[in-house]
Amino acid sequence: MNRIGIVVALIAFLVGLSVATFAELRVFLPAILRGAVVTVHVATLSIALFLLLSVVAGIGRAYGAAPVRWLSVLYIEVFRGTSLLVILFWMFFVMPEFGLFLSPVAAGVLGIGLNFGAYGAEVVRGALAAVPRGQTEATIALNMSAFRRMTRIVLPQAVAIMIPGLVNLTIELVKATALVSAVTLSDITYAAVQQNQLHFRTVEIFSITLMLYYCLAQFVRFGGAALEDRFSRHRARRA
Amino acid sequence: MIRFDKVLKAYGALEVLKDLDFSVEKGEVVSIIGPSGSGKTTVLRVLMTLEDIQGGTIYVDGEPLNRMDVNGQLVEASKAHVRRIRAKLGMVFQSFNLFPHMTALQNCIESPIYTQGLSKAEAVEEATRLLDMVGLADKAGHYPSQLSGGQQQRVAIARTLAMHPEVLLFDEPTSALDPEMVGEVLSVIRDLAKSGRYTILLVTHQMGFAREVSDRVCFFDAGKMVEEGVPGDLFGNPRNERLRQFLSKVLEAS
Ligand SMILES: Nc1ncnc2c1ncn2[C@@H]1O[C@H](COP(=O)(O)OP(=O)(O)O)[C@@H](O)[C@H]1O
Ligand SMILES: [Mg+2]
Repeated sequence: MNRIGIVVALIAFLVGLSVATFAELRVFLPAILRGAVVTVHVATLSIALFLLLSVVAGIGRAYGAAPVRWLSVLYIEVFRGTSLLVILFWMFFVMPEFGLFLSPVAAGVLGIGLNFGAYGAEVVRGALAAVPRGQTEATIALNMSAFRRMTRIVLPQAVAIMIPGLVNLTIELVKATALVSAVTLSDITYAAVQQNQLHFRTVEIFSITLMLYYCLAQFVRFGGAALEDRFSRHRARRA
Repeated sequence: MIRFDKVLKAYGALEVLKDLDFSVEKGEVVSIIGPSGSGKTTVLRVLMTLEDIQGGTIYVDGEPLNRMDVNGQLVEASKAHVRRIRAKLGMVFQSFNLFPHMTALQNCIESPIYTQGLSKAEAVEEATRLLDMVGLADKAGHYPSQLSGGQQQRVAIARTLAMHPEVLLFDEPTSALDPEMVGEVLSVIRDLAKSGRYTILLVTHQMGFAREVSDRVCFFDAGKMVEEGVPGDLFGNPRNERLRQFLSKVLEAS
């Protein structure tokens, strides 16, 4: 599976490169690469916020005392039920009306992180629920504290279960960063649209764009696969 | 050592234990038998604090488990109180419940290190001794998924013993095992029972084994203890009609 991914990425890269070379990539590539730096910047910060919110709200909903649980549910339902683009508009164009001025990067990261965190929280909650009840009972019979039970027994097993779901969401997130061009950030998508308006190299420019997003997604996928391996070693190693 | 005083356990309207009076002396080996759904597992689970009770009191070593004595008044027990009493109890589950992400050795040292404050070296030494005792010295580095059911249950027993409980609770410890693995687990339990170091409460469908190792056998039916006695009497001369029916069914099956 991984090998196929590498081969496809390589082919896409070579095709993109030859098409771009043919079209004098020097003209528009630098601007698009500057856009890629913005995309990676926004994506990295958003992923950090997304993972944090997923774990906090997921655990809050699964195990929190009543007020924490209701807050988690409220957050999850509000942000799952609303469009990311509209949330981004709110962060950047509406919040200033209430005196909150966010930079474009802050608005983008906050909007994306909050939106994906709501989905991630459900993945985390599902994973926690999938750890068998008998595991908790064993920790009680062994007189372990609630904190040890969570950190040493339940979470490590839940992490192995939640990784595929979170990796999926992370890939979605990377691609969804294209929406931040709507709040004036010059990311890959914004740069591509702009360069296309300047040079009318539609095929070349959007081939490069496609390839860049694909490469970023592959990067996340390989990272996720490595993590998954690491956390389910005990299942893989059958004698 | 253990005393149930009018213990009531209910799930909604369903009363699973009905004003149960039941006690076990220190060092005694007691088997609980009875039809499915009669409340045998529940007796162990409320004792292990896996379930709360709706009425009555459970005493461990003379102290109430679910409540505590503050200036002569019984009040809701604090977490610290429950943990202190619970340290005297250890439970072996029907489905082992080993931690799948830890090796056999790690399973046995996890709680001793964090709950009893043992150094890692001390915990490893003790766990190694116990794994050797259950005949699994060479499997210390194996994950549960690499072990047979019988081996997993023996690791679970070692893990329980590593906490130095005074009372051992076994809930049908061989029911989830393939027949050829039942013997190896029973032999470990037999040694524990014969050692005289533990008070043992064993829920089982292995009538032959119950007869062999028990000081006393209790027959449960519909949330009550209906008959109890030394194995010879209870199996040889059952008085209760329900017990007679139960025994003839079990004998038919085997
Ligand atoms: N969590 C639960 N919710 C509702 N009923 C339960 C629950 N656990 C057990 N019971 C019921 O309690 C009764 C006694 O169960 P149990 O102690 O497991 O019986 P045994 O171990 O003797 O087969 C059964 O009728 C069972 O259906
Ligand atoms: Mg049972």
